[in-house]
Amino acid sequence: MTPKRSNIEIFAAPGCNKCSKAKKRVEKVLLEMNVAEHFAVREVNIVEELDYAVSLGVLTTPSIAINGELVYAALPAESVLHKILASHLNGK
Amino acid sequence: MENKLKMHKIGELTPLLGLSADTLRYYEKIGLLTHINRTNSGVRIYSDKDISRLKFIQRAQKMNFSLAEIKDLLKMREDPQHARKEIRELTHHKLSEIESLLNDLTTLRNELKLLVNLCAGSKEDGCPIIEGIEEK
Repeated sequence: MTPKRSNIEIFAAPGCNKCSKAKKRVEKVLLEMNVAEHFAVREVNIVEELDYAVSLGVLTTPSIAINGELVYAALPAESVLHKILASHLNGK
Repeated sequence: MENKLKMHKIGELTPLLGLSADTLRYYEKIGLLTHINRTNSGVRIYSDKDISRLKFIQRAQKMNFSLAEIKDLLKMREDPQHARKEIRELTHHKLSEIESLLNDLTTLRNELKLLVNLCAGSKEDGCPIIEGIEEK
């Protein structure tokens, strides 16, 4: 039975350099932690999904949500991402 | 002991509240303002309690409450424990309306805050949203 994957959503704006860095950073940390198979990563275009972003409490980009819950609002350092993902995996 | 009760003449309320003398006299005529004090020479003077009542009227009007509804709500405000059932129900209903409006305003505020932050964050490369609009 395939274990259910958690959803990571990176809220990004068109032309936002920090947003593309956020996605790359998330993917890099997932590989380093060897947990990529446990997560599905999606970049959310704020302009196209504005209602959804607002409903999650997104006020700035980049912002990161896991399973529909906002976990970080800004470009996180890799060490911060490690902690967030580890905490999520432990809490599952 | 110093008398700290400040009373205001009708002309002082216009800069204070943005209400004209005619409006104040009208409110008194239709019963929105009651028991307004007068000087010995018959000049109206308004207490802080009257001003509080006027501010309530202004807030309710901004919410598009009718003058009749405002009159009833003022009765509730004066004596909430002895207000008639219909007035209590009106107050409940108006409270629900306000809460619904607050939710909508909060959502709109958050949307606009997000849009403002998006442009502020992209300063060095310009604002993609504004540029997108200009290109169309």
